[in-house]
Amino acid sequence: MSTTGTPAAGSTSPDFTIDPGSMRHLAQAQVNVELDTGDMILNLGPQHPATHGTLRLVVRLDGERVISADPIIGYMHRGYEKITEFRTYPQVTTLINRIDWLSSFANEVPFVSAAEKLMDIEAPPRAQYIRTILTELSRIATFLLFLGEMGLQVGALTPAFYGFRDREHILNLIESATGGRFHPNFNRIGGLKDDLPWGWLAEARSAMQVVFDACDTFENLVLGNEIFAARCKGIGIIPAKLGVAYGVSGSNLRASGVDWDLRRDGDPYLVYPELDFKVWTHPDGDSFSRYFVRLQETRESARMVLQCLDAIPAGPVMTKVPLIIKVPAGEVWVENENPLGQMGYYVVSKGGTGPFRVKIRSASFSNISILPWLLQGVYVPDVVTILAGLYFILGDIDR
Amino acid sequence: MAKPKIPGLLVGLGITFKTMLKPAVTVQYPHEKEIPAPRARGVIALKEENCTVCMLCARQCPDWCIYIEGHKEKRPPRREGGRERSVSVLDRFDIDYSLCMYCGICVEVCPFDALFWSPEYEYSENRIGELLHDKQKLGEWMATVPPREPLEIGAEPGKAAKK
Repeated sequence: MSTTGTPAAGSTSPDFTIDPGSMRHLAQAQVNVELDTGDMILNLGPQHPATHGTLRLVVRLDGERVISADPIIGYMHRGYEKITEFRTYPQVTTLINRIDWLSSFANEVPFVSAAEKLMDIEAPPRAQYIRTILTELSRIATFLLFLGEMGLQVGALTPAFYGFRDREHILNLIESATGGRFHPNFNRIGGLKDDLPWGWLAEARSAMQVVFDACDTFENLVLGNEIFAARCKGIGIIPAKLGVAYGVSGSNLRASGVDWDLRRDGDPYLVYPELDFKVWTHPDGDSFSRYFVRLQETRESARMVLQCLDAIPAGPVMTKVPLIIKVPAGEVWVENENPLGQMGYYVVSKGGTGPFRVKIRSASFSNISILPWLLQGVYVPDVVTILAGLYFILGDIDR
Repeated sequence: MAKPKIPGLLVGLGITFKTMLKPAVTVQYPHEKEIPAPRARGVIALKEENCTVCMLCARQCPDWCIYIEGHKEKRPPRREGGRERSVSVLDRFDIDYSLCMYCGICVEVCPFDALFWSPEYEYSENRIGELLHDKQKLGEWMATVPPREPLEIGAEPGKAAKK
């Protein structure tokens, strides 16, 4: 592929005549030699409008083609795994909100259920339902942003505004229930901080209609668009086996045809066993199928929220827990299906008020580990499409 | 997926045209304002007379942005011939909003109902140091604290919403 160092053919031709056509040819050859440059190293990021946050991609380019790409992470490392060792359990819940800030509520649930497992308590059913609703709402909020932003990355500005507009309904719902738009900090060990405010369920029901409408809009506007299909179809194909080998999870893996969803296949958690939902997959594994799967999952989440709203039982939202929470010694691994993929916490407790050690398995970190392989041989504009299609959050990578 | 019958460009233009006819969802901020939810965590208000300088909030704060100082004072006995009472008097109660993570742990752990959330959000400053609110300024926020709202159907009866 690369022609570095080799002189262009014809430049050393011996039959030198005064034929003007040949002269032109020779001059052209000379220009070709001068323009033949070595590989170019391009830094995409850490502060580049095409990357989401401070991801630095060092790409080696031959013309427009990427020879190799190297993601350099850590610009946003905040040391959460270490900080948790010096904080109490309620304080940790505050911190882990900030791992994946687009779906903070979904981050809290696995950590809190890990602590609950160690303490051998269980949140009341009403709390479980509210947790499920809010987890799915945060999934919808994350995906609505993706559905709009993906259009933005291939050059369509309008869908981004629609995505932000419709996500506002979900964020308002989360805010009116938890008090925080982005960082709810609503989970407590043993339940929830508070019950829902008056009229929330009806509001949520009407917001789900907005989500269905938004999905229809995106299906027509983005998924059905020929330019979008041309930019995304066949771009960034992740083979199923390789995706599994790299630890890619969530919608990225399902878009490669792997039928694996922790909500259905993992340890039963929250009220997912009682819900009726379909796990969407797509056989292609390219950026287009990732968009398709996330679009369908948004609809599926909205359906799940509606089912929960119908079935939510009455009762308390908090079990009896001591004022100062001390978690008995032990180790536990809890993994959940977060919007971005498999998210897990390995919590080691030595009986104190805070964890002894926490290992956080965040989805984006594994999802982008496939980037060096995936970006080989693609063109520069497709790099942006692939980055957008993988959909990672920098806080989730660097923690 | 079946190929759409209408070209994507026309579908897009149709959606744009439909959206054009709808009223705008954005508000022109300094002139119009959206009302945040009553539960919104905007700013912490301090009810000074309830504070007993127990330091629970300052200790539980994940980034230790609450500064409390107090001293003990002797007060005359309540009954004739009783002992002198000693009460804690609050000298300083500062919250550094440039550090605060708005987690609400301090409001929750306060055993004497001295801290409240207010949905007020307009207190940005030009200088970061001015984000340190002292007890007088925190007390002024008390006027903006909304009343407790009712809970959704199915909530545990007899329990009002927490502050």
